[in-house]
Amino acid sequence: MATLPGLNDSLEPLNIGESSDQPLLVSLTVGTEWRVQVPQDARLTIKILSGIAEIFGTELALDVSYVFQGTNLAIYAVEDAEIEWTSSELITQTVSGDTNMPFVYNVHFALEKMRVSSFEGPRVLIVGDSCTGKTTLAKTLCAYALKIKAYQPLMINLNPQECIYSPPGCLTATPISDLIDVTYNTWGQSMTSGATRLHNKQPLVKNFGLENIHENRELYMTTMRSLADSVRLRLSNDAAIRRSGLIIDTPAMEQLSDDFSELKEIISLFKVNAIIVCGHDDSLAMRLNGVLPVEALTIVRVPTSSGVVKTDDVYKRALQRNAIREYFYGDSRTVLSPYTIGVDFDMLRVWQPKSALNTNDSPEALMPVEVNASNLQHAVVAITYSSRRASADEVLKSSILGYALIMDVNDAKKKLKVLLPVPGRLPDMAMILTAFRYLE
Amino acid sequence: MECEKVAQDFASILEELTCNSRPIITTLTKTAEENISCAQKIVDAIEKRIERCVPNQKLYAFYVLDSICKNAGSPYTIYFSRNLAKLYKRTYLLVDNQTRSSLIRLFQTWLQHSANSMGDHLFGKEALDAIEQFLIKASSLHQKKVAPPTVPGLLREIDKLTMLTRERISQSPQDPRLNTKIMVLKQLKQELQRESMAPQALQQVQSQLRKIFAQEQQVLQKQQQQLQLQKAQKHLLQHSQPSSTPSSQEQTPTPKDIESVPLFGSASISSSFFLNAGNVAPPSEPSRQLSRVQSLYEALSKEGLIHPIADQSVVTLDRILLQSSNDSQKTTLPPLSLLKDILGDVKSHFSVYGVDILNTSNLQLCQQTVIQENSAIIQLRHMLYRYKPNKCSSCGKRFGTSEDEKKEERDHLDWHFRINKRIKGTSGANGAAIKNIQSRNWYLDDTQWQNFNDEEIVSTTRSENDSVTLAKLDASSAHDGFSKNQQNKNIEPADNEANLIKKSVVVPESSEEMSFQCPICREVQSAVYDDDIGEWIWPNCVESQGKYFHSTCFHETIKDAPRQALHQDLERLKGLAG
Repeated sequence: MATLPGLNDSLEPLNIGESSDQPLLVSLTVGTEWRVQVPQDARLTIKILSGIAEIFGTELALDVSYVFQGTNLAIYAVEDAEIEWTSSELITQTVSGDTNMPFVYNVHFALEKMRVSSFEGPRVLIVGDSCTGKTTLAKTLCAYALKIKAYQPLMINLNPQECIYSPPGCLTATPISDLIDVTYNTWGQSMTSGATRLHNKQPLVKNFGLENIHENRELYMTTMRSLADSVRLRLSNDAAIRRSGLIIDTPAMEQLSDDFSELKEIISLFKVNAIIVCGHDDSLAMRLNGVLPVEALTIVRVPTSSGVVKTDDVYKRALQRNAIREYFYGDSRTVLSPYTIGVDFDMLRVWQPKSALNTNDSPEALMPVEVNASNLQHAVVAITYSSRRASADEVLKSSILGYALIMDVNDAKKKLKVLLPVPGRLPDMAMILTAFRYLE
Repeated sequence: MECEKVAQDFASILEELTCNSRPIITTLTKTAEENISCAQKIVDAIEKRIERCVPNQKLYAFYVLDSICKNAGSPYTIYFSRNLAKLYKRTYLLVDNQTRSSLIRLFQTWLQHSANSMGDHLFGKEALDAIEQFLIKASSLHQKKVAPPTVPGLLREIDKLTMLTRERISQSPQDPRLNTKIMVLKQLKQELQRESMAPQALQQVQSQLRKIFAQEQQVLQKQQQQLQLQKAQKHLLQHSQPSSTPSSQEQTPTPKDIESVPLFGSASISSSFFLNAGNVAPPSEPSRQLSRVQSLYEALSKEGLIHPIADQSVVTLDRILLQSSNDSQKTTLPPLSLLKDILGDVKSHFSVYGVDILNTSNLQLCQQTVIQENSAIIQLRHMLYRYKPNKCSSCGKRFGTSEDEKKEERDHLDWHFRINKRIKGTSGANGAAIKNIQSRNWYLDDTQWQNFNDEEIVSTTRSENDSVTLAKLDASSAHDGFSKNQQNKNIEPADNEANLIKKSVVVPESSEEMSFQCPICREVQSAVYDDDIGEWIWPNCVESQGKYFHSTCFHETIKDAPRQALHQDLERLKGLAG
């Protein structure tokens, strides 16, 4: 309840570096990386003038402007490359030849061989402590998988703090069937966004709704099991995905239990056959070797790149806030028009998962929430596919239709203003309150 | 009368002399020799021919004149001498440079003929003198046209001067001034080579050089005349050629020399013409060599041993290239980056040629594979990039060179175009672009997602009849207002046609065209813009099993469907029974 991303935003730039409105040039020699930290309020425009350069596995077009805001990125020079860039604010930028790219290539071609030699592609679980490059590795491996043949790796995000084709608080499974949009921290836009510059993706979104797994470990596992069920069925229907395999990104090890019980369940739920440990040293890989069924599993470690940035809560919240804004409003290139409607209090039925932060300890997984300003003001709510009058159990098992934002609650008039992504009446569905708030 | 006929025959044969034909010339010469009595008529015919014929044939008539004079001699020589200078001058002025040089060579043989016959001139001395004077004027006139002195030209002049001076040293080795002169010349040459001088300065150098040259030549001439005198006294009455000038025969400066190598004014020309008779000036070494080569060349080409340069020859090509490289319109090379690209593409093509991931060893997923540097993987990396050389200019996606991939690339580009048009939106009434209001969708429910295939999104070649899976919100909440612009998969019984026509479908994003063809009536229906929902829609349209129909047609068919199904079942039963 305490998380209020919009309010906690820091306006200070992350780092002080060079700044200029004039186009600047950076030349990269093959195998080096240009690492940039773009603060929230800065705008970095880059253009590849010559050579081959990629961002986390996605090759950039020549002479096309890419705009980045509030992100950390690394442009890797596959061949000598020249980049023209302009930034509105001070940014930190370095060029380094110390990357883990050779290892990533090695992993990719090992996975590619598995795809070529079997109809069952690799099912890769990526684990590691926070800030060890897990999501970056997942993104790069997905991007590479698209390149030689038109594979469609299924990207599974089990980290509710990460926003991949969704607002925060979700567990998602998304077939990566075309280019990843490098300018989005959310990897690009989902099918909910209509026409976009690149092909959008169709994610399966499961609402967890809380920020930290430990707030309700049981709910987390239930959500994940439900996701795994759908993934299993999709795999049985979809030969392309089955052959391309899964790339599973996980929360930081700190978020999971020390006995690896969640990991063990993930491995069996998704039939994982390869684990990639991201880390600076072998300690985690050693520990996993001891407790996991290594006969059926390959555990390898990919050394963490020296370019990994230690991100803080402020940065994470900013990313989550941007993901919520993108879901409703789109961005400068794809302007979406969300729809505001006024509804009476009794039109809403809102549930709330129990959380370790809640004081009352009820046996139910979902508890009804009283509709009032203190509970719902600025809240992001998940709209389920279950009817308004459905039971808590039904609501819990239901799929997610989408998200709505409670913009204003008037306790006196018993009226709310709700922002919907899709125009029309408020769906007559049960809703689940999430821990995320958004304020313009 | 006899003479008339001979002259007529002679003239008619002369008419045929349109090329340098030895047989004709011989025939004419013989006729002239045999009919000396008709000499006057024959001379008239030749003179007339020279006057009348086209300029490039005049030379051959001159050859006839020459041949007759040299073989038959008098009285032809006497007759020709009268008009020779006038004829020669007129012809010289009319013809091109090449013919002029031939004429000059011809004139030289006349002089030489005079020399060989010891003072007995072939033609009258006045005529020859007049021609010589004319030629001197003509060539000096020519020289005025010569371009301002250039450094290489001056260097050549210095070389010649040095040669002259050397020649003098060989004759009077005691003179110390001559050695210093050579030193000075050498220095001057070095100066010229080192520095670039203004044209005026070069002009000055040239004029001074010429002055020195003229002096030098005079001195040399005097010396040689003395020498000649001594020799003449020694070999009195000897008819043989002066032994000191064995090469004088070949030393025939062509007009080409005059054009390209300045021969230091009239002095040198007059010397080269006059002194051929005996007092030979030392011909400058380069020009002597040149003339030797020239005469060799002529001899060879006469024998047919030298072939003209063909169009396809390397020499021709070189000349053309030289010309075109001088031209302002130089061919611009493609930019370096493009050349690098091509090189990279070719390199990576060959580095992964015949490479197959399946057959590559050391690709087992294990710690060693991940950590170790693997040369096979370094090769394989190309497969992620230049292996597919065609890169989409707007998103960077790569495509290969096979037919399938090329088609995919075209479809991909088409898709970019369509989607960009859609994003950009339509132009408003005031000309400003109005951003299309984006159509938004809900997430799919679990079952829909499980059955979803991403081909629906990615395929760029989907037919317009394919549907796009959209969230089935209506299924569970049929009473809310969404059915207005959501596709309704459950076909509701339609009350009347008016209601049916109102049904519409939002043009799906994946549709390539803005129109659809109803599979029932085969009519093409184009999209209209619906202001209320801000979308392009197909009016009177329903979707069923991925196909779009006119809703009126569709419902008519549906009504008949049960009956048809019954009919089909009956047919099947009949088949089984039979």
